[in-house]
Amino acid sequence: MTANDPNTRQNPHDLPPTGESAAKGPAAAGKKIAWVREPELGMAGRSYLMLFLQGLRTTLRHLLSRKTTVQSPEQRHVVPDPLIYRGVHRLNRDAQGRVKCVACFLCATACPAHCIDIVPAESPWPDRQKYPQSFTIDELRCIFCGMCEEACPVQAIELTSLYDLSGKSREEMVFDKAKLLSVFDQTKDAEPMTKGTGTFFGLPVSNEGTPGPAEK
Amino acid sequence: MSQPQLGPPPTCQSPEHTCGVSVVHEIIERYGGNPEMLIPMMQDIQAAEGYLPREHLRTLGRELGVPLSRIYGVATFYAAFRLQPKGKHTITLCMGTVCYLKGADQISAVIQDEFQVKPGGTSPDRKFTFAPVNCLGACALAPVMVVDGEYFGGLSASSAVDILQKIASSKKPSEAVAKADAKQKTAAQKNGRGSQNP
Amino acid sequence: MATIYIDNQPYVVKDGQNLLRACLSLGFNLPYFCWHPAMNSVGACRQCAVKQFKDEKDTKGRIVMACMTLAADGTRISIDDPEVRRFRAGVIEFLMVNHPHDCPVCDEGGECHLQDMTVMTGHNYRRFRFRKRTHRNQELGPLVNHEMNRCIACYRCLRFYRDYAGGRDFDVFQWHNYVYFGRQSDGVLENEFSGNLVEVCPTGVFTDKTLKGHYTRKWDLQTAPSICVHCGLGCNTIPGERYGILRRIRNRYHREVNGYFLCDRGRYGYEFVNSPRRIRQPIFRSERSGAAQPVEKQAALEQAAKILGSGERVIGIGSSRASLEANFALRTLVGADRFYRGLAEAECRLLDTAIALLRDGPAPAASMSDAAQSDAVLVLGEDLTNTAPMLAYSVRQSTLQREIGLTKRLHVSWWDDAAIRQALQERRGPLYIATPAATKLDDVATEVYRAAPDDLVRFAQALAHALGAEIPPVSALPRKLAALADVVAEALYLARRPVVVCGTSSGSESLLRAAGNVAWALSAAEHRGQLCLVLPDCNSFGLGLLGGGSLADACRAIQEGKAETVVVLENDLSRHADQAALKLLDEVRHLVALDYLEHATTAAAELVFPAATFAEANGTLVNNEGRAQRSYQVFVPQGKTQASWRWLQEMMVAVGRQAEASWRSFDEITAALAEALPIFAAVKDIAPPEGFRMAGQRVPRQPHRYSGRTAMHAQADVHEPTPLADPDSPLSFSMEGSQRQPPPPLVPRFWAPGWNSMQAITRFQEEVNGPLRGGDSGRRLIEPQPDAAIRYFSDLPAEFEPRPDEWLLVPVDHIFGSEELSALSPGIAQLTPAPYLALSASDAAGANIQEGEKVVLAMDGLHQALPVRFLPSLPRGVAGLPVGLPGMMHVTLPGWAKLSKVTAS
Repeated sequence: MTANDPNTRQNPHDLPPTGESAAKGPAAAGKKIAWVREPELGMAGRSYLMLFLQGLRTTLRHLLSRKTTVQSPEQRHVVPDPLIYRGVHRLNRDAQGRVKCVACFLCATACPAHCIDIVPAESPWPDRQKYPQSFTIDELRCIFCGMCEEACPVQAIELTSLYDLSGKSREEMVFDKAKLLSVFDQTKDAEPMTKGTGTFFGLPVSNEGTPGPAEK
Repeated sequence: MSQPQLGPPPTCQSPEHTCGVSVVHEIIERYGGNPEMLIPMMQDIQAAEGYLPREHLRTLGRELGVPLSRIYGVATFYAAFRLQPKGKHTITLCMGTVCYLKGADQISAVIQDEFQVKPGGTSPDRKFTFAPVNCLGACALAPVMVVDGEYFGGLSASSAVDILQKIASSKKPSEAVAKADAKQKTAAQKNGRGSQNP
Repeated sequence: MATIYIDNQPYVVKDGQNLLRACLSLGFNLPYFCWHPAMNSVGACRQCAVKQFKDEKDTKGRIVMACMTLAADGTRISIDDPEVRRFRAGVIEFLMVNHPHDCPVCDEGGECHLQDMTVMTGHNYRRFRFRKRTHRNQELGPLVNHEMNRCIACYRCLRFYRDYAGGRDFDVFQWHNYVYFGRQSDGVLENEFSGNLVEVCPTGVFTDKTLKGHYTRKWDLQTAPSICVHCGLGCNTIPGERYGILRRIRNRYHREVNGYFLCDRGRYGYEFVNSPRRIRQPIFRSERSGAAQPVEKQAALEQAAKILGSGERVIGIGSSRASLEANFALRTLVGADRFYRGLAEAECRLLDTAIALLRDGPAPAASMSDAAQSDAVLVLGEDLTNTAPMLAYSVRQSTLQREIGLTKRLHVSWWDDAAIRQALQERRGPLYIATPAATKLDDVATEVYRAAPDDLVRFAQALAHALGAEIPPVSALPRKLAALADVVAEALYLARRPVVVCGTSSGSESLLRAAGNVAWALSAAEHRGQLCLVLPDCNSFGLGLLGGGSLADACRAIQEGKAETVVVLENDLSRHADQAALKLLDEVRHLVALDYLEHATTAAAELVFPAATFAEANGTLVNNEGRAQRSYQVFVPQGKTQASWRWLQEMMVAVGRQAEASWRSFDEITAALAEALPIFAAVKDIAPPEGFRMAGQRVPRQPHRYSGRTAMHAQADVHEPTPLADPDSPLSFSMEGSQRQPPPPLVPRFWAPGWNSMQAITRFQEEVNGPLRGGDSGRRLIEPQPDAAIRYFSDLPAEFEPRPDEWLLVPVDHIFGSEELSALSPGIAQLTPAPYLALSASDAAGANIQEGEKVVLAMDGLHQALPVRFLPSLPRGVAGLPVGLPGMMHVTLPGWAKLSKVTAS
């Protein structure tokens, strides 16, 4: 086969860099496209009657079921499992009362709302290189998705079950490191750190140090 | 697994090395100052001094125009070269697969702790030089160590220390060895299949 | 061209390269560690395994290393074969046995080649249950951090440091699982290119220590394409910023200029931007010696209007470290005939001579890539490692060129690095170095010649004569030297691409001219001699083309009463003028200065405007080969700081000269420059204009993973600020914008999906080691005249005679300290030597001076007490004086000086 053969491929980057041709790169070579046809509606489907009745049934079911409305604030909502609830954040402390965070930026990077901001500094303690000099979460921007908690390699940031977050100004809702640590102090008894229950890539995580494989 | 520490070797304190520079010059002359004969020169220095003193290597590098880093690279690559003076007794501890599985790393840790000696190093009292090796080829005796050519098999951490302490205090090494051997045998029987945790 | 089959698809690739290079050039994801585009293959890591088949019928195949296999015509390989995929994942798994799981706290995390390759191979679960081996880390000085546990023993650091950069204090120790890369003991890495270990290391063993002090992840940095300002070579860089602090500099690949590497001065000299000595607000002194008062922008401009509008007697002093645009704005403000270059008379003459050599002669300017590919190099009077470090790196690579040609008969492929070095042993191609003192390149030099500058000129002229230049022969040349000249002449004549390197740092115009003679004589032979001239500052060439008088001329104008107001642009005059001139400038009626840092000139000025540094404003800089390159603003500075040309434009508006200063954006001032001075016509075309868009979008300065956008300013103000507008370039100060690959001058960072480290570079090149897609950026402003009649220079100074009671002082440059801006960066400052005087030991013994003893140097009415340091290579009667170190006075070198011992008081 020669260079002039029409089947001979040139450098894929010689193609114009549009989205369409990018898919023709080496990875997509030889893949087939399956076309899916939209299903046609029958008589029942077109009349919407069945759907209407289905809707009514749902409404009726809710009318007759047990009420879950809580008369807040006189009555407080009881969170069924505080450990999986995603409320206000807290920054955990280790056994010596120091902030556990190692300023790795993974929570800030994982945050889809871009509302976590960390300024690192060289750590005054020998067991780590960096610690957060400042740690800010804009709770008003936060969407409480829990990705920060998920991303944290040392379980330093956690979402508590405190759900009634309020403040008198927007400034008040920007939580700094001191405030996030105070949330920990406030909630540590009711919601202990998830000791030994977490996993990191399928490996058990201890509360004492960085993740590592369990020794038998 | 612990490993030989790389770091600045201690400067020589023994008086016979203060005149070492002339030894180096003599050796360099012996090989016509040819940098390609670096390894034989280093062997000769070791033969003369018992190890490779830092000052000697510095002189060697300067005279041959070979960077000191290169000389250290050679010296640390070959297990035959020593950067620290040798102790009275040499402990060679097998860290091969079988010995490792049977607790050689614990024995190593205990020896290091007991005699304040690092792998590849010499204890402060110059009694022992500790050299973990990759395999002694005596897997049936695992975990095994060799002290001054004498094999000790089926060790546990405590029996290893016992043997070494006997050797250290004994004036007649063979006597100590005999005693230790008997004790080590009983220890091995007691522990069943050698040693795990002490 | 060869056709190779990858997973049964045919591809056309260049002949003679290896499979890994071919696959990467084609855009395949094939993992590797020990291979590096600048350092070729050694086949050590076994990571780039592919399966090779004999022919179409072969289904079994065998596993080969792509980096060690020739991509011959008809080669059939598979990258996707399950067995070879398992093999590659297995190799990573072995490497991971000892690699710590500390990515979140590792500085390399997120731009780690090892991370990328691990993800690429699909290894994701550790099965090895035992303890990892650990090492002790070394303290390697203020620039590079060492974390040996992360090492995967790919040997790239050692190969770069020892084989490519010529370092001698770094090696591999021990063996087996314990191999250790480091120095023989703790200490500062001696090599001037040690910072490249940070980029060469595929993982986090070597990390940037200056970045550690203000750490930010790669994806959190706002970056823009920039040009290094710390010497005249114009290396391409990527500075990164966050929170208004410049965090680090990374290399930006340019095939012709710096390739893949930077010197330590360029990489670590950036911290002056964050200096507490920065001027952030306009300063006004009602009395010249009075206290400085910060004033508002408007008040400052009004004051400037009062000073400048008072009469016509205003002169401007430009700067060789300011951009073309800033200098042009000043030239427009004061008028072309009242614009002075801010360089001493000698510096101006040297600069003009150098530019004339490149403009009027037949020898083309050599880029750094030309120098690296040259097969014979002559260095005249330049200590390259200290004056133009990356050029020294290139020249070091050139010594292999001729010898690699000789290995062809051994049937060794040119990319087989280990085999080539094994075959070459210590053989190196012709490199001749003629300088006053020893240089760091001497270890690869064929011959060195140490002499006073005048003797160097005589040697070079003898050489030029031997090559056929029409100049009179040099009489009374010592026989040995005449023989050396003949040897050098022969080596240069037989070379295919000889390069002559000279420069202004020797202070000798005659030497420059003699270097021109040599290059021209070579060119006349077969049009192939190249000339590489080293200039001191990042825009020396541009300022030279702009023209204007010297500082001495400016002083004359003041003395004659032609000037009573002086505007100084980004220039510390104490570095270029002697005491008398400085006094004169101090006493001028009005002194207006624009600069970013406090120094002697801003301290004496009546009005000071805070100017933007290279990272805070766009600018065009012309490097030593005459290549105009665009440097872009990385971030918006704090306070009232803005680009110098903007200040000057606003001053002109304030005095009511709107018509002349109609430029409101960067493109407009470049267009005005191109129109006013035809030599700069190309400057407006070197980069896309502000209106350039990709799919209707700007090029984002922030990566798409930039974090904390809504929170980083929240403590100051809960309202998220709108992204700042950039009227000067098609780049934006935000993460929104086109994610496609921009044209080369606009590439703000190297990143590609799956390639987070600097190794993403292969995705941006047309082919491995080729130009960036879209061609090399920058454009040369002058071209040689191949057919012009050559007029050789016949300068021939008399032979150097040592004087009994005087010493000839020659300049001694230091990579750390001789350059003004980098010396203010804390990391570099730690490595800067204290001022001293260099003497050869025998001379010192003759004068009964001990090493470390203080002597008083008397020269041109200047007295300075300096400790003596021995520099054994200095010729008799010659002393060395370090130039530009903090605390050193300016003197014109070379020059005669008297030394006297300090008597104990």
